[in-house]
Amino acid sequence: MFGQKLLPWDYGVRNLFRRPSRSALTLVGLTIVVLLVLVVVGFIRGLEASLTATGNPHVVLVYSLSSAADIENSAIPASTPTLLTASVDGVRKQHGVEYVSPELYLGTRISAEGMAEPGLGLVRGVTTAAPLVREQVQLVEGSWPQSGEVMVGRLVHSKLGADADALAIGREISFDGQTWIISGRFTAGGSAFESEVWCPLADLQTALKRQDLSLVAVAMQSSDRVADVDLFCRERIDLELKAVGEADYYASLQKHYRPVRMLGWVVVALVAGSGIFAGLNTMYGAVVGRIRELATLQALGFRRRAILLTLVQEATLMACLGALAACAIAINTIDGAAIRFTMGAFMLRIDSMAIAVACGVAALLGVVGALPPAIKAMRLPVVEAIKSI
Amino acid sequence: MRWSQLLTLFALTSLPFATGCEKATDSNATAAHATAVNIDGSKFLLSEEPDGAIGVIAARESAEDGKPLVMVGRIGGAANPWIEGRAAFTLLDASMTVVTEGEEAEGAICTGDCCANERLTCTAMVKVVDAEGQLIAVDSRQLLGVKEADMVVVEGKAQKDKTGNFVMLANRVYIRR
Repeated sequence: MFGQKLLPWDYGVRNLFRRPSRSALTLVGLTIVVLLVLVVVGFIRGLEASLTATGNPHVVLVYSLSSAADIENSAIPASTPTLLTASVDGVRKQHGVEYVSPELYLGTRISAEGMAEPGLGLVRGVTTAAPLVREQVQLVEGSWPQSGEVMVGRLVHSKLGADADALAIGREISFDGQTWIISGRFTAGGSAFESEVWCPLADLQTALKRQDLSLVAVAMQSSDRVADVDLFCRERIDLELKAVGEADYYASLQKHYRPVRMLGWVVVALVAGSGIFAGLNTMYGAVVGRIRELATLQALGFRRRAILLTLVQEATLMACLGALAACAIAINTIDGAAIRFTMGAFMLRIDSMAIAVACGVAALLGVVGALPPAIKAMRLPVVEAIKSI
Repeated sequence: MRWSQLLTLFALTSLPFATGCEKATDSNATAAHATAVNIDGSKFLLSEEPDGAIGVIAARESAEDGKPLVMVGRIGGAANPWIEGRAAFTLLDASMTVVTEGEEAEGAICTGDCCANERLTCTAMVKVVDAEGQLIAVDSRQLLGVKEADMVVVEGKAQKDKTGNFVMLANRVYIRR
């Protein structure tokens, strides 16, 4: 096929500029299709990344056996951290400080300034041991919360449906009948913690009139050591504790969101499919208007396959330009946009996978969209085609 | 080179680069399984079934702390009967069966929370220990070649406390096949 006489490469490129308005409209259409694909893939990738980033393979979560894997329902004795460190070897320790974080975790209505109604938010009562175990947490503004203060993750405003300014340092938020002053703002490497409000454990226990904990997060010296905590909890059945590796815990949550992810991929396929049909329609229009030109090329001695290749080249080139435009728009506007969901909030993620999928869809649009109309045009006898208007 | 060729080259060659560079994903999650099996598991396996084995329910009731015990049961009784990377597993009384969560049948338990109390009475944790009483730090599936639902007879000592915690410290294991 390629050994035969082909049309000049820039013949196809120049053709795109012969009908600028048609080319521009096709480009816009292809860009929108690829952009839609990027939004859906960005959603799936963002959700996956949020849950993956939250799980640290060295960290094990210990919570109540009866809580059915729902940490919010868990209640364990306040003595659990001490019991764990005394009974299990391999807990990470540095300068005499054990990496054990007792936490109280709940979902509650939170109101901030300017909110018409309180939003459903996530609150975690922590001690200063929490950042030792949750290594991805970084205080980026303000200070660690003291009594009566909280620090907020960078996606809390999205989770609450509040204005970002309402959660600035020094502002107040209210939950569980108490008003708290925002002392700091933190990031957590894209993990689910970023949609949480953190406050001192003792203050939260007082506000909730509780003395127990929801969970204990323990950082082990290695991921291999996580099994020792599991073994301890399964041996000491009187404690009614359950140990799950943090990575496994969030991996199990990912399973719950599998239908959402599947639905997302179905949407990608549907969008790509509709894009191909739109491309077919456009290309049919483009090719029908050029039947005489294509027949003339045949009369000049160019083989049908060579002309077909030029048509595919034009469409693919257009699709590639559309993909580049869509990627540029997505990276600058969609990437990092916050989305609220039950677990908190996450950011749309236009990563290499999303861009690769978008480029693949664009290439598919170009090749598959151009072939049928081109084949149809090539089937017309040359004499008949030259006479056509 | 003409402008049209430049445009073509730009569009086509930019796409692969548009995927950009990204940090490799952390693969240390598999580290727990990377431990090489350098302990001979055969020394923990019995070629003949020991006599006098009792079921898990009976053992829970009658076993005394520190006394020799031979116990028979089926590996299972939990959503995950294994302790990853350790020679320890959950043993279910042979008279019990495991059904899907939500189902009900006589002499059957499920691995859900509804059967949590029933599970405590008919399951036991088995730890395969060496001569010094130390737990072997190799996954029991690798060490003994056992799999879920295998019927095994374990020989060793009972470890029991006043709060009802019962663990079988097994020195030898016989697999019924």
